[in-house]
Amino acid sequence: MIENIELKRVLPQVFRGSEKEAPVKDSELWLRECVVFSRGSNYIIEAESGTGKSSLCAFIYGSRRDYDGQILFDGQDAAALSIDRWCELRRRSLAYLPQEMRLFPELTVMENVMIKNRLTDFRSGDEIRRLLSRLEIEGKADERAGRLSVGQQQRVAIIRALCQPFDFLLIDEPVSHLDARNNQAVASLIAEEAGRQGAAVIATSVGNKIRLEEFELMRL
Amino acid sequence: MPLPGQIPSLKMSNNTVWRLLRHNISAGQIAGYALASFVGLAIVLTAIQFYRDVSSVWNDDDSFISKDYLILSKRVEGVSGLFVRSSASAGDTRFSEQEIADIASQPWARKVGRFSSASFNVYAKVELGGSSMGSALFLESIPDEFFDVTPKDWTYEPGRSSYVPVILSKDYLSLYNFGFATSRGMPQVSEEVIGMVPLKLSLSGNGRQEWADARIVGFSSRLNTIAVPEEFMQWANKEFSETPAEAPSRLIVMLDRPGDPQVESYLEEHGYETAGDRADNGKAAFFLSVVTTVVIGVGLIISILAFFILMLSIYLLLQKNRTKIHDLMQLGYSPAQVSRHYHLIVIAVNAGVLLAALAVMLAASAWWGAPLRALGSEPASAWLTVGIGIGLMLLITLGNLAAITRTIRRSFYA
Repeated sequence: MIENIELKRVLPQVFRGSEKEAPVKDSELWLRECVVFSRGSNYIIEAESGTGKSSLCAFIYGSRRDYDGQILFDGQDAAALSIDRWCELRRRSLAYLPQEMRLFPELTVMENVMIKNRLTDFRSGDEIRRLLSRLEIEGKADERAGRLSVGQQQRVAIIRALCQPFDFLLIDEPVSHLDARNNQAVASLIAEEAGRQGAAVIATSVGNKIRLEEFELMRL
Repeated sequence: MPLPGQIPSLKMSNNTVWRLLRHNISAGQIAGYALASFVGLAIVLTAIQFYRDVSSVWNDDDSFISKDYLILSKRVEGVSGLFVRSSASAGDTRFSEQEIADIASQPWARKVGRFSSASFNVYAKVELGGSSMGSALFLESIPDEFFDVTPKDWTYEPGRSSYVPVILSKDYLSLYNFGFATSRGMPQVSEEVIGMVPLKLSLSGNGRQEWADARIVGFSSRLNTIAVPEEFMQWANKEFSETPAEAPSRLIVMLDRPGDPQVESYLEEHGYETAGDRADNGKAAFFLSVVTTVVIGVGLIISILAFFILMLSIYLLLQKNRTKIHDLMQLGYSPAQVSRHYHLIVIAVNAGVLLAALAVMLAASAWWGAPLRALGSEPASAWLTVGIGIGLMLLITLGNLAAITRTIRRSFYA
């Protein structure tokens, strides 16, 4: 279990040399001495496009390493984690919804969700079906993911991300393609799941924010 | 109402992963690899087995291709040997310790054995039905390991043994049977009959004389001499010789590689002679080993090329599927879980190739086995070749698997 994620003077390597310029200069995250995300809290990171919010998620999730500074999981340097340890974290502690969703277009909605659930064995088929129906895509369960609209894909990807236990849920622009009603549905589902597990939600947004009730807003 | 995905059975999900990963697998490339690999491995294994089968022909001591032994002597020049009998000047035809050491240190010489000859007088007598025949004889001995025959009772303990065992050159028997006996109207005798003839040896010298019973216990086609056990020779030389043991004038050399051209040039250089024409037979063996080496080399090159074909198509496949592989690992699939599917294909294909190549090798071996048996030689066992095949394929497969794992681990980070 991870209680705290600390960012110490973290900076994407593409921003090297522009430390004194926007967006790094005004950022509440980049190059700060110590930024802490704690379990049980919600964070919304607001940013303009091109400021590196997807990079931040990828750094924390371990899929990219092109940053300076340190990311610490309860004091342990994430850069030192082995591949196997990362895989384990991705099944037990870190859930992630990438901005591009990364669904497999040739697989059905159900298969896309099951491919994750199989690893974690976290939910029954019934539960998954209830989640689909709660986000109003149960009718698409056997549809190939590639044929869904972007908004529908976003909801499938959210359900897939929730098919595991987590301490931190990283969601990169989770509602960018959702209307207000669906935004509300997604937000309440996420808040409920995170609350039940005592987890933290770190959501990024360029404008359309997820409608979480309590959150700390940070500017990237 | 059950949904298809409702049962999270491992099988179904495994198939899902497999469906993703098998994308871009080219049956043509795999078939091309399998064919090339099969041809290469089949050539290597068949050549090895051929070499082993055929060389078993001259590992048979009695075979038409002589084994890798040389009997060396010095050339007898003019008539010097006729008049001089002192060890100092007759040193011409004897091998000094230095010369023996030099021969033993040659890369082609595995072992050197010395002929020790009797330095006392030997007279042999045969008594059959009251009449007796006799002749002066010479005796020699060499270390037991150089004999092509190992008759039982080939030991001698002074005072204990009831007779002295003798090994005779097969040539002598032929000489008697087909030369002497036929022209004189005397009976031809078999090896078995000769073995039953009681011999009496008169050993004399150093002012003493003694009779000893002897029996011919075997015939050698390698040695053209009358051989007795070394133990007997040492004892008899001590008892009856007037001079200290002399340096040997003949050597027997066990060769490392039959027909090695270095041997010939060495003998030429030092003016040594070899007995008979055995060295010529060795040339056939040498030629065979060269040809086999070339064929095995070609097979290995084909195998190596095939290995690279597979490596290339693996890299290509993994490159094409890189996004999927990366995404699976993003979900928490470990590199091992992803690699496993590709490992299974490689293992299956390589196992198939190995089995096919082994089948070809065994079939070929059976095909030339019949004529080999007709030459009186049993083909070698195929187990070593099978082992080599398994070993080679294991090596290739491990290389493939390691490459897959490495490439997939590299796709872990974006």
